Amino acid sequence: MIKALRENIDRFLSPGALVILSIAIVTTFIVASLPSKVVDGIPFWLTATAHKKAYVKLVAEWNEEKPEKKIGMTQLHSRALERRMLSGFLSGTPVADIIEANLGVVAKVFLGPVNEIGFVDLTDYVHDEGIYEQINEPSFAPYISRGHIFGLPHDVHPVLLAYRSDIVEAAGIDVSTIETWDDYFRVMRPLFRDRDGDGQPDHYLMTADDTRGDVAIMLILQAGGSIFDQNDKPNFASQRNAHVLAKLTTWIAGPNATCTDVPANTAAGHRQRLEGFVIGTLVPDWMAGSWKIENPGLSGKLKFMPVPAWEKGGRRTSVAGGTMIGIPKASENFETGWEFVKHLYLNPELARHMFENTSIISPVKTTWSQSFYDEPDPFFSGQPIGRMYIEQAPEVPHRPSSPYTAAGGQKISSSLIALAQYARANEVYDVESLEIEALRILQDAQASLERLISRNLFLVKEAE
Amino acid sequence: MKRLNLAPWLFLTPFLFLFSLFTVWPLINSMFLSMQQTYGPGRTEWVGLHNFKFLLTDPLFWKATANTVKFAAGSLFIQLPVALGLALLLNRPALKGRAYFRLIFFAPSLVGMPFVAMLFAPIFARHTGLLNKTLNYFISGWPIDFAWTQNYVMSALIIAALWMSAGFNMVYFLAALQNVSRDLIEAAEIDGAGAWHKFWHITLPEILPIAGFVTLLSVIGSFQLFELSYIMLNDSAGPDNRGLTIVMYLYQTGFEAGDLGYASSIGWVLALMLITIALIQRRILKRHEEH
Repeated sequence: MIKALRENIDRFLSPGALVILSIAIVTTFIVASLPSKVVDGIPFWLTATAHKKAYVKLVAEWNEEKPEKKIGMTQLHSRALERRMLSGFLSGTPVADIIEANLGVVAKVFLGPVNEIGFVDLTDYVHDEGIYEQINEPSFAPYISRGHIFGLPHDVHPVLLAYRSDIVEAAGIDVSTIETWDDYFRVMRPLFRDRDGDGQPDHYLMTADDTRGDVAIMLILQAGGSIFDQNDKPNFASQRNAHVLAKLTTWIAGPNATCTDVPANTAAGHRQRLEGFVIGTLVPDWMAGSWKIENPGLSGKLKFMPVPAWEKGGRRTSVAGGTMIGIPKASENFETGWEFVKHLYLNPELARHMFENTSIISPVKTTWSQSFYDEPDPFFSGQPIGRMYIEQAPEVPHRPSSPYTAAGGQKISSSLIALAQYARANEVYDVESLEIEALRILQDAQASLERLISRNLFLVKEAE
Repeated sequence: MKRLNLAPWLFLTPFLFLFSLFTVWPLINSMFLSMQQTYGPGRTEWVGLHNFKFLLTDPLFWKATANTVKFAAGSLFIQLPVALGLALLLNRPALKGRAYFRLIFFAPSLVGMPFVAMLFAPIFARHTGLLNKTLNYFISGWPIDFAWTQNYVMSALIIAALWMSAGFNMVYFLAALQNVSRDLIEAAEIDGAGAWHKFWHITLPEILPIAGFVTLLSVIGSFQLFELSYIMLNDSAGPDNRGLTIVMYLYQTGFEAGDLGYASSIGWVLALMLITIALIQRRILKRHEEH
């Protein structure tokens, strides 16, 4: 019997094929016998590692207090969460009962008719339970679609201007006189020199470039400009936005250009920041936290100031990024989920943990009086950065929740590139002339986006 | 009475079943999908040829097409000549260590596209990238902040793809060159033909079928460019969509914007483009063979 088997194997399989077959059989068994992960409790999905770390203790406490309403927290990669969440909402595949997602992902949920959005409409709950008053009002904006609130904001993400205080102070520059962007570039200008003779300035004055659409958007929002109106219709072809882009172009192109790009989260970018390649950078609170982890060498070399205003008395901050928590309509545990969401997001303990570990300030206004926000931060030369961010938090600009936010951002970015190209090609570097061209470019870009949006029959029909 | 022979059908059945399930059915489905607008798979609206009409006037699609054509041209006019040059070099019997050089040139193609993208992203970095530092060292006045992945995206992608694919195409050319008749070469040498004449009149016509095959593969591969640009540009199409390719636009439309109908129409137009290119290339080769 064995002999016959061996003969047949020798006849049909070469030694190589036998090895491959054996490996296939063994690995199949190994994979099949791997235990599948069973979530203990009501599933809660999130993506951010820092958030998860902050929630572990609170979830454990909840689970101990309410064993019959256990929460099973699972961290997913943001792409995986996006796929599974959208599949769940659009095709009915299983989703978690509680989902925390960033605003880029959430915006995609708002692409269809409002009554088909996969998250539970929390508007009545938020107002009836007084939560709306407890939370920083502008922080809700990205999660409100067509007047309905679909999530609680996790953060505010105000922006301050971080600058290399060691270099600035060594040069004898007094930053206390800076109130506007014009002040900033005038006061910092002496640093923009080539002292080592390599043909390059030793320090650029700020991180900005025609390819950095994120900086342009922060500046537009700060200046009171907008990308979409309250009804999610694009309105970025405005005089205000044209002025910001024109001014920004003079910072990045032409004879008076003093800004350059330093990548946000790359090793090269961190190295350049460490070397003082740029003096100032617009820094939302989450970025301050990530610099502490990713670039510890900067400790004691930085200070914050409010973002210079566009005009005297103007807004001194902007906003970038954001996360919310929501409950899918498919959830069979809405009551427990909602109770848990409030336990987690309104918890002063979470506010403390988040700030101490990530520098992110809570949107819950009642936590803003906590003393941990006043602690001097050695990384930022002893400044109480929590208090500095909180002072700006109520002023953060409103942002849109349009599903076309990313496309709108791209249009702004492309418009800036086109304007910088126009400036270089025609050697036009005065703000007034650039404003005219900027407005024309923005009008073209807005028309193009409106055309794209008009394709969405679901939104068009709903509007009718 | 004629007996029905079922044996061929029995052997064909597994293939036909799988082919129908995974190729024919999705093809038919995607054709219908391309005439619908979707909000996820569950909600659809019949729009007829509207997706195709919109596509013809969609500036992003044409930008993606222009970028893809630029990349394909780079593959065709830079990558293939480099591959052929390397093959000619390594086909010289007098060259010492040919086997090692073959391995060295072929090795990059063993690395996947995503790894190449991750490898080249820091190489192309402004101020700190290896490429700018090297060029600045050797070429006086080369700007250290030359913005490869911001302003010259397609050039950067062509360079990265050149590093990866030249060695792979070289192997095809090398195989073809080794089949070129020595008799013909020697006869030409006796007649006093120089290196250029030998290449133009003997080597090139002999390797033309393989060259045609490699060209077609390169063009099709170029039109399917996605991972290299997507990863090198940090999951995006780069500033001003300068790195947007047709497949990336298809992906963004279908899987990021959720418009599966429009994505299907992009897919069909891409398929038509590739079929047209293949037919043209076939006709050109056939004409050459007839000559």
